[in-house]
Amino acid sequence: MGIATSDKPFLDRVKEAEADKFMRASVAKAQDAQFTKRTEARRQLGNWEGWRDLSAQIRQHVIKHLPDYLEEFSENVQKNGGHIFFAKDGDEASAFIKQLAIKKKAKNVVKSKSMVTTEIGLDKELLTIPGLSLMETDLAEFILQEDDWDEPTHIVFPTLHKNRNQIQKVFEKIGYKGDNVPEHMAKFVRHYLRNYFMKTDFGITGCNFAIANNGMINLVTNEGNADITMAIPKTQVVVMGMERIVPSLKEAETLDNVLCRSAVGQKLTSYCSFSKGKEADEADGPDDFYVVVVDNGRWQMLNTDFEPMLQCIRCGSCLNVCPVYRQVGGKGYGSIYPGPMGAVLSPILGGYKEFQDLPYACSLCDACTETCPVKIPLQQLIRKHRYVEMDKLHLDHSMTNTMLKAVGKGTASPLLFNDAMRFAHVALEPFGKKTTPEDIKNLYPEGKINHLPAVAPKLAHGWVDVRDLAVPPKYHQNFRHWYHHYAEEEEHNND
Amino acid sequence: MTDYLKEANNPQNQEDFLNRIAAAADRPRHTLKDDPLVPVNDLPETTLAGKTQDELLTIAKKNSENVHVNFQVVKAADLGITLNNFIAEKEVKSLMLPSFDEQKWNDYSLGKWQESLQLDPIYYWEPSQGRQNIVNANASDAAIGFADFLLAESGTITIATYPQQGRMFHFLPTHYLAIIPKSKILPRSRQAMDYYQKAIQEGSLKTSNINFITGPSNSGDIEMVLIVGVHGPLDMEYVVVEDM
Amino acid sequence: MLNLKEAKCIQLMHTYMKVCIFSSCIVDLLYPDVGKAMVELLHRFGCETVFPEKQICCGQPTYNSGYDKETIATFKNQLDALLSIDADYIVGPTGSCVAMLHEYKDILKDDPEYAKKAQVLYDKSFELTQFIYRVLGILDCGAELDDTATFHRSCHMTRLLGERTAPLVLLEHVKGLNLIPLHNIQLCCGFGGTFSAKEPLLSEAMVDDKANNVLKTKAHILIGCEQTCLMNIGGRINRRKEGQHIKIMHIAEVLNHNVDTSRITYVKDTDHVMVPANGNGVF
Repeated sequence: MGIATSDKPFLDRVKEAEADKFMRASVAKAQDAQFTKRTEARRQLGNWEGWRDLSAQIRQHVIKHLPDYLEEFSENVQKNGGHIFFAKDGDEASAFIKQLAIKKKAKNVVKSKSMVTTEIGLDKELLTIPGLSLMETDLAEFILQEDDWDEPTHIVFPTLHKNRNQIQKVFEKIGYKGDNVPEHMAKFVRHYLRNYFMKTDFGITGCNFAIANNGMINLVTNEGNADITMAIPKTQVVVMGMERIVPSLKEAETLDNVLCRSAVGQKLTSYCSFSKGKEADEADGPDDFYVVVVDNGRWQMLNTDFEPMLQCIRCGSCLNVCPVYRQVGGKGYGSIYPGPMGAVLSPILGGYKEFQDLPYACSLCDACTETCPVKIPLQQLIRKHRYVEMDKLHLDHSMTNTMLKAVGKGTASPLLFNDAMRFAHVALEPFGKKTTPEDIKNLYPEGKINHLPAVAPKLAHGWVDVRDLAVPPKYHQNFRHWYHHYAEEEEHNND
Repeated sequence: MTDYLKEANNPQNQEDFLNRIAAAADRPRHTLKDDPLVPVNDLPETTLAGKTQDELLTIAKKNSENVHVNFQVVKAADLGITLNNFIAEKEVKSLMLPSFDEQKWNDYSLGKWQESLQLDPIYYWEPSQGRQNIVNANASDAAIGFADFLLAESGTITIATYPQQGRMFHFLPTHYLAIIPKSKILPRSRQAMDYYQKAIQEGSLKTSNINFITGPSNSGDIEMVLIVGVHGPLDMEYVVVEDM
Repeated sequence: MLNLKEAKCIQLMHTYMKVCIFSSCIVDLLYPDVGKAMVELLHRFGCETVFPEKQICCGQPTYNSGYDKETIATFKNQLDALLSIDADYIVGPTGSCVAMLHEYKDILKDDPEYAKKAQVLYDKSFELTQFIYRVLGILDCGAELDDTATFHRSCHMTRLLGERTAPLVLLEHVKGLNLIPLHNIQLCCGFGGTFSAKEPLLSEAMVDDKANNVLKTKAHILIGCEQTCLMNIGGRINRRKEGQHIKIMHIAEVLNHNVDTSRITYVKDTDHVMVPANGNGVF
């Protein structure tokens, strides 16, 4: 499945998502809460636009010199006594980590939340090793794991689609006997995972930013599970998307500041850590430190219109402002990368064939672009995908395609458009109904259309099935006729 | 089956990868030296700059309390009493302390306090004990440690890992208290980062890990209800020493 | 984006101007009253208007659907038409379509013939309220409307054109108008051009949210700068048969309502008084 979370058609997913009332209410609540927190956190920082400029500059600079920064980072990882492996794709990355786990005789593996390990399907690969057990230690990821590996629906709040009762049921399967109060359930998990942590021998983390000039890894969490994951096990593997790099600690500091404010509306999350393999005279931290740098299709963005997408720092704020995500949540998108960033990323990493609908699941409202802390022109990139799909790949062979091409001709030819104005009333009037006092007062002076025959084109149904359409004015009563009459009169008055 | 493990730290593996993405980007490699990053602004440095230490203390207190930290300001002479109160209040039976040398304890006027402690066990984080320290930390009701800096803007303490005060010192004990001299309050994360970057580069600081800790661990993963205390300490105290 | 244009505009206050009307296809095909109100407003403020017959559409329906190549002819027709009569300004009753006109200069930047023209179009074109407030320097249009209303802030005008305050400043000065804040004003109404017809399920859920928020205000009038959003929200409320008490008005119709010309007021010291186009919000 790759990054896909569902093999159902897009429309089915949307219908299912829209039927899930709890999920929709919880996404809306989360969006509204984050709206307040995020806005306030950014306001307090001051000059938010200046911070965005700086953050975007850092990310663009890094992407421009990506091979150089990766080279510098690699050199420093090795200088620190660590190991680094460059993986072309997810399979190579997973295979490497699997072989390492076998070699190290890993028994109890801990993981802290990482989108890239979900992207490459690492967990399932590792679990094929006999005798190996694996534990996701982020509370949300742990819930998903215990719920038979349910898929995440948000890149920062993976269990946004689940309510406390559902979570209680999940925990009961592993011995929880308490009520559905979140704090009580969290206490249970703390105890459960602490016991596991104490016997772990192999830790896997993602990476918020890799520090090129000293070989350190920057991780940002609220729970602290990442820190334990990289302190107790003797072996640590860091899995990073190849673009997740910064020149030095200073740029990590800048980006952590915009990341935490954008992701969760906090100035800094509880834990922002910078670490590498342990020093000889230290007591904890990994003896063996591995970094796996993953491409997995990211190269396709380089030197194209989509290159700015590599700036993404996975803060999820575009999901939190998206009016479409608000309605369908992560499941509607059917990708581990949902929302606006997912609508851009999924067709690239997972292919247009599988994700061709996502760029159309967008009203182009631009809220994502406006909120993006690293200034990715998300809305433009979504539109660009439509261009690739229609003009380049010709993925649409339906009546809609024909109609829109006709609209293209009609809006380029004054003669054709004049015909449209001339016949609009005559053509649509037969479908119209007279307005009644029940109707909105001034929206339908010539009547309304609230029903179309089945044979009408899909596009027309799309509009009329949801909302009433006005019957166009009679030709001689349209704006242009009025204007000429008015202009003549004005001229006459002025004479 | 390919033995991928052999590919780690293999120059060929790296070069193939980097050349491939350079080709995809259609940009030559090794251009960075002629095009270093020149920041478009200095907001990280100038934000909240120019405050006195007293002003920073006020800001730090407000922001620390906002992240559920119990914040106290004390004189060095009263530090021992403050710590005893903490131990009593949290009903601490097992305590974890760093194994810094006498000089450091004396700097904080805590030389005698240490000796006066009536707790059993008291675990010291000792590099010689290796991973037993982790087990000890897990068995501790509380840890009392020293932070490097306190960041006014966010209510954050910053701590590098030292042989005498390891990583899990700050995570596994149930309750946690950090001591910070008032002189070590900085405006924001940038100033702390400037220090660490320089100290690491110069070699005056040898550490595998730097923690920026902003309040107790928490999660919003269940219906976005804030839960304080998930994997790390359940609660957190900062004690700022005024006169050091 | 707007700053340069603002600076230039200020000097032109109170001077005689020739304005080219950009009607937009939605006004031409469906809502003549919006166009009428706009023209009457501009005449009242002393502008001479012209109307190039060959104008059609800004090109969004196809461009935003992914038909870039097919839309180039639409762009060029529109550009040629709007520049065919020499005017000081080009003004339209829609922030979305004006934002599209502004984008021509990026789309056609490599076209030797059209690149320059597209820049001229960018410099001259304004959304109606933006023009009234920022170019004409008018604060109070002299309008009166004794009623309760709520305002739908459209996405493209706010985010692509970068104008979020001009309409609100003008509405604040409409005598008798009681504006009720709209909850979640920043959320899209679900119109999105062809999106509304191509993805009716998504669009319906979105417009239902918007309709609910509008109805919750209990306002008698829904005002907006974008007739397309209004016909979406209004059309949905009408389908739900919950709109008996509601009237839909484009902002041009509000500013043109029951006008007492003696009340028309200009901004006094533009540099200090004028509210920035992008407002103070960070969302």
